[in-house]
Amino acid sequence: MSITQVAFILISAITLGSALAMVTSRTVFVAALWMVAAFVGVAALYILLEAGFLAAIQLLIYAGGIAVLILFAIMLTPRVMQPMEGLSRFNDQWMFVAAVSAFLFAGLWALAIRTDWPVNLQRVTGDNIFLLGRGFMTQYLLPFEVTSILLLVALVGAIVIARD
Amino acid sequence: MITIPPVHLAVVAPLLVVGVTALVVMLCDLVLPANERTWLAYLSLFGLIGAMLIGTQLWGRQTSTFSGMFLLDNFGLALTFIFLTVAVITVLLSVAYTSDRGLVRGEFYALILFAVMGMMIMATAGDLIVVFLGIELLSLPLYVLSGFARPARDSIEAALKYFLLGAFASGFLLYGIVLIFGATGSTNLLQIASVLTKGAHNSVMLYAGIALLLVGLGFKVSVVPFHQWTPDVYEGAPTAVTAFMVAGTKAAGFAVLLRILLVAVLPVRDVWLPAIAILAVVTMTVGNVTAIAQQNIKRMLAYSSIAHAGYILVAVAAGGAAGTSSAIFYLLIYAFMNLGAFAVVIAASRGGEERLAIRDYAGLARQRPVLAAIMAIFMLSLAGFPPTAGFVGKLTIFQAAVQNGLTWLAVIAVLNSVVSVFYYARVIVFMYMREPEGEPWPAVAGDGRRMLALALGICVAGVLLLGILPTPAYQAAQTALLNIL
Repeated sequence: MSITQVAFILISAITLGSALAMVTSRTVFVAALWMVAAFVGVAALYILLEAGFLAAIQLLIYAGGIAVLILFAIMLTPRVMQPMEGLSRFNDQWMFVAAVSAFLFAGLWALAIRTDWPVNLQRVTGDNIFLLGRGFMTQYLLPFEVTSILLLVALVGAIVIARD
Repeated sequence: MITIPPVHLAVVAPLLVVGVTALVVMLCDLVLPANERTWLAYLSLFGLIGAMLIGTQLWGRQTSTFSGMFLLDNFGLALTFIFLTVAVITVLLSVAYTSDRGLVRGEFYALILFAVMGMMIMATAGDLIVVFLGIELLSLPLYVLSGFARPARDSIEAALKYFLLGAFASGFLLYGIVLIFGATGSTNLLQIASVLTKGAHNSVMLYAGIALLLVGLGFKVSVVPFHQWTPDVYEGAPTAVTAFMVAGTKAAGFAVLLRILLVAVLPVRDVWLPAIAILAVVTMTVGNVTAIAQQNIKRMLAYSSIAHAGYILVAVAAGGAAGTSSAIFYLLIYAFMNLGAFAVVIAASRGGEERLAIRDYAGLARQRPVLAAIMAIFMLSLAGFPPTAGFVGKLTIFQAAVQNGLTWLAVIAVLNSVVSVFYYARVIVFMYMREPEGEPWPAVAGDGRRMLALALGICVAGVLLLGILPTPAYQAAQTALLNIL
């Protein structure tokens, strides 16, 4: 096993463990903190894949922005800091959902193992960010513009919902 | 030096016009006094009709721009016209609806326009990334619009449900797109098709991708078994928004389905055809049977829209030129019938009081004969009786199915059609053969009255004209083929 593999297994374990802890935690605040840990784990995976820019974005937007936003929302919601006693996190459909999820997991597992994954050994040469920026301005110009409109709509929509 | 690939703005002109109109509407909202907001509706209508006129100039051209991300063809244009028509009628409905309920806000029209932009992008996208962005641009405004009647409880519930399930569906869609990319090495629809024709793809991953894509899109067009959100959201959302969703979202979703299934993954049609056929059967049957039991008119129309999604799936399964053109033709007819029916629901209510139980329609023919007659026309059309458009539309779909060797599917669709007569006729029976209950029906007053009447007029004209003289529109639909360059 190479160092990279060890690192991958360790980081994956931390990420998945944090995600599991987030879902099972009884206090929303604690769950949010676990979520930040999972986000950081994903960023570490990106670094392992030598996608530095993506890792930085993951840290800035998810571990930074989104986590802070969620903590703010929790802070501003009354009576949410206590663990939710008496409230079950399972409803009567959990067995059905578990079965579907297990089925889906088995399918994806089989897919991942049996697939002869195309490996592109060509390295990305040059500055990542430069290539990304050039992509946005050339081949991916339309998606880039549509995304800008999408963000504007999200902004307007959030204000419409939040305003009394 | 970066060379920017050539961009033909003339090709995307209808899209630009709608987008600019949305921005102008938002800006004008800032300067207009609160009681002059009707001008925003006029402005939106102006932009939508302008986009339509510009679109007619592009008819017959076949090209692509933005590095193949945007495809111009008659298919996309025909659907663009349907979206713009839906939006025009929605705006006409909304003036009366919003002013009656104190929901007059400038963002309403801007969000409708942005949603229309999303639909147009979906119908003309040449790349799965753009498809996804178009769907999101359509969905985000609709999440907000379904909750527009806040603090009404059911409106909030509708918005939340739609948002959560919509986000869930987007997840499936993205997963599908990623797997298709993994299997073929491209997100470009035409390139995917060429890779599949050469057979240089990974089959298992491709099929998994197509399946997840179908789940995601199935949510959006409410195909059984991914339909559970539909009745709740359609019931809770403001009626004008529901009308827009029923007619517009479905057309946009099917535009994407048609383009992906009949262009990108057409080479593996044998694999997805059984799935689509089964989905069509289940969707028609569950939609129609469940609609029978509904007591609320909005819920009934919601289940009816599910059943109609099943009929359109029959056209998708038929495929080819006949399937595509009958699907487009049906989507246009479907838009008129449903917008009309919802317009009657709006016209039959006033103030905070909406009469939504089917029982409330008892004796409508005696109190408001014209409105009842119009509703009867829409119900007959939805059920598929001649000489309304609903009959012609169903006929073309069934013909396409028989032509392509799916006679069994056409038979099931006809049987379903018979079942559906039961619940549509029930509304007519209540309107014409029952004694009215309670006080007389008040008429809509104020600013929006004429616009509502105009919307009803357009829908009635559409349903009758396409029923009696279907040839010109159907011939146009027959030339609305997909760009497979």
